[in-house]
Amino acid sequence: MTVRKRTAVAALAIGVLAVTSACAAGNQGAPAASSGGPSGSAAAPAAPAYKPAVITVGTAEDSKGPAIPPEGVVKGGTVTMIDRDDFSHLDPAQIYVNTEANFGRLISRTLTGYKRVAKGEFKLVGDLATDVGTASDGGKTWKFTLKDGVKWEDGTPITSADVKWSMERTFAPFITQGPTYIQQWLTEVDHKKAYQGPYDGKELDAIETPDDKTIIYKFKTPHADANYAFAMGGYAIVPKAKDTKEQYDKTPVSSGPYIIKSHVVDKSMDLERNPNWDPATDPIRGAYPDKWHLEFGFEALQVTDRLMADAGPDQSAFTFYASAPPERLQQVLGDPALASRRLNSPSPYGNYYYFNLDRVKDIKIRQAINYAWPSKQIQQVLGGPAAAALPTTILNENTTVGYQSYDLFGKETKPEGDIAKAKELLAQSSNPTPTIVYAYNQTPVQEQVTVAIKSALQKAGINVVAKPLDRKTYYDSIGKTKNEFDMYWGGWGADWPSGSTVMPVIFGPVADGAPNYSHLKDPALTAEMDKITATTDIDAANAAWMALDKKVQETITPLVVAENRIATMLHGSKVGGAEIDPQQWVVQPDTIFVKP
Amino acid sequence: MTIPAPAATNAETAPVVKAPETVGRSPGQLMWLRFRRDRTGVASAVVVIFFILVALLAPVISLVYGKDPYTLYGQDTPGLLNDFGYPIAANGGISPQFWFGIEPGLGRDVFMQLVYGIRTSLLIAVVSTVLTTMIGIVMGIVAGYAGGKTDYFIGRLIDTLLSFPSVLFIIAFMPVVENLFVSADEETPVWLRAVTLVLVLTLFGWAALARLLRGQVLSLREREFVEAARVTGASPARIVFKELLPNLWTPILIQSTLLLPALVTSEAALSYLGVGMIEPIPDWGRMFRRGTEVYQNDITYLIFPGVALVIFVIAFNLLGDSVRDAFDPKLKR
Repeated sequence: MTVRKRTAVAALAIGVLAVTSACAAGNQGAPAASSGGPSGSAAAPAAPAYKPAVITVGTAEDSKGPAIPPEGVVKGGTVTMIDRDDFSHLDPAQIYVNTEANFGRLISRTLTGYKRVAKGEFKLVGDLATDVGTASDGGKTWKFTLKDGVKWEDGTPITSADVKWSMERTFAPFITQGPTYIQQWLTEVDHKKAYQGPYDGKELDAIETPDDKTIIYKFKTPHADANYAFAMGGYAIVPKAKDTKEQYDKTPVSSGPYIIKSHVVDKSMDLERNPNWDPATDPIRGAYPDKWHLEFGFEALQVTDRLMADAGPDQSAFTFYASAPPERLQQVLGDPALASRRLNSPSPYGNYYYFNLDRVKDIKIRQAINYAWPSKQIQQVLGGPAAAALPTTILNENTTVGYQSYDLFGKETKPEGDIAKAKELLAQSSNPTPTIVYAYNQTPVQEQVTVAIKSALQKAGINVVAKPLDRKTYYDSIGKTKNEFDMYWGGWGADWPSGSTVMPVIFGPVADGAPNYSHLKDPALTAEMDKITATTDIDAANAAWMALDKKVQETITPLVVAENRIATMLHGSKVGGAEIDPQQWVVQPDTIFVKP
Repeated sequence: MTIPAPAATNAETAPVVKAPETVGRSPGQLMWLRFRRDRTGVASAVVVIFFILVALLAPVISLVYGKDPYTLYGQDTPGLLNDFGYPIAANGGISPQFWFGIEPGLGRDVFMQLVYGIRTSLLIAVVSTVLTTMIGIVMGIVAGYAGGKTDYFIGRLIDTLLSFPSVLFIIAFMPVVENLFVSADEETPVWLRAVTLVLVLTLFGWAALARLLRGQVLSLREREFVEAARVTGASPARIVFKELLPNLWTPILIQSTLLLPALVTSEAALSYLGVGMIEPIPDWGRMFRRGTEVYQNDITYLIFPGVALVIFVIAFNLLGDSVRDAFDPKLKR
């Protein structure tokens, strides 16, 4: 016993010596200190600066198939996709999550869709429709014509009745997820009260189908950007003849290039070609691999390690969603061998630290906090400029057509926060030493971010009370209108590239669980938003959203614009055409191919 | 297990006879002698005492060292961390200014974080160990000695506690405590978190010790010396404290020396799960967790808290072994 103990001590001592004498190299490989670039969006070192995607509206000619092939495309082979979560819904009407919508493109089609024209360039085109639709009656009536030769997986043609049915069934009580824009436009805000779905034989009169190829939507109010809404994965089509209601979520019928051959929930899924899908009708989907093999249940760290190793079958693997975690970022970005297999893209979402306007009533205090905000320090905690960009606007540059930048709070010159300016504003305010209750989602990273925020605001004389919230009920807690917090983080993703899916939502009705977390109630603002929504000229509307964005921050300051995460993903060496969809923030399947 | 003769354990009443040096020592003295001869034991004791001193003297160390564990040095001074948030200098940023380097991301001083982290973790572990041991002793002896219904109820309570998923309970319980005692616009005080942790760790810790002692007492209470005491009219209190307890010190000491490092690690595990001490209170366990996340780029940050934790746990376990050996030389192989 004694002897064994001594050896243990000796071994330990040797171990300690060995470990401490093995010098850990420094981290000079990465760019030293601050690069001070404007808004810090200079992406990874040695990588070209990120350019926001350009999205335009295509013509009928653009809507003709087949899709534009990526460079060096090869048809055939099996591609593997590895990710953490299985798709919780396959019924299009239940799909609102980006990964599910992204997968949906493989098995189902929508009226319109985004066609990749070149890298970072997209066009809204007709998918099932011959073009992006014709608006009349000032944007209240939208007419689409279906293409010839579009079929279900069993070979029966896709008719306008199917398209109408797909919209009608989203009103059914068992549909709980999914977008609700078009439903509300067709009926009223509480759309499920107006109509309960087609299963009891009642039709929705607002959708007309004069013949098998034509479908007309009649909205209550004008919506000039409705054709963007029809591109959402949640509005993909379901066959009227084979609708199995709740069961459809398990066994969807394909209208896209692939059919689900087998699906083991939470483990794997296999896809094979749909013989009745005609590439000549489809301007969006390339569908180059013959087979898809999807594996689920791998954490981002495991996925990154597997793709870094690039061994054996993983050479033809990629991931939809698993972004390199902060602890691997320096390696993934620093290794020149990985450069050709690396993808990165900032998130298309708006992320905000909302003020609770019911509690933080003094605009001077809100602006002082904006000035003192430690954006750069938070960025550092998240993994530096390669992991997060520092936007200055409410609308996200990646998902806003006609985006224009502005910088109200000196974030481009002083991303670390302007304490002097903050103190000056606080001195003019109602309370020079306010107390701010900051609620945060209790994850290890957010705990660290909170330390940085607390440290910075304290320098300006603001006392920060940090309240950790349970991560499962985070949104429920901050979603209560009578919450007792002053500031909290919240995110919102645009559903199509227009301010109309952001501003009227985050400054919309104040209710428990509604995404208006700042509780901003301003009749003048609401009126202005209604006016812009009703604008029929899309370009004018987009410019107006941008102007309103700046005006809101200038005159109300309901939030601090948060850092915008940048995803960095890898793919196997035999995978070609992998690109991150700038809107969905996942690798899109349309251009993927496997090199032999 | 062989139990030393009861007469010999009654140190105070042992007749002191003028005799050669080798005889006439109390068991305590004998134990101390044997312990001093065990070099591993003494070394472990020194290490453990060193850790306790570090914990107690943390503010003094901070004063002498000139830094505190809360300032974000790496973020306030440019040139210490690179764009990814990792220390630029080699070895995790070790320099004459930062002895153990700087923390990746937030850029706090690792040395100060570790010293204060040890203070937090040790304080919680020591208090819970003392409480656990006391409750364990009382419940174990009462159950064993009283028998019957008392034994039955305490036994079932122990069963329940032992089969209870303690970690899940703690995760569910901490937010409840916060909601009960802390108003929504106030920060949870550090003491409340510490006290809750201590109480919860104690609640789930005493059952194992109590069950062990109950078994010991059960076999002891039928022994002749206890019967003799009972026949001579000794009160139950006297039998428990003067006859039974001295025979139980060995398992109690061993259990509690094993318990302390176990509690340090479970407190670390709880911080890991986000229900222990949270930022910005320095915590040993949380440092270790962060170390495991960043080790591929900054191994130094894992080494300091990791090696300190390993040394402490091993030293304390070896100390426990040595104390046991010293108490009970017959068990020595």
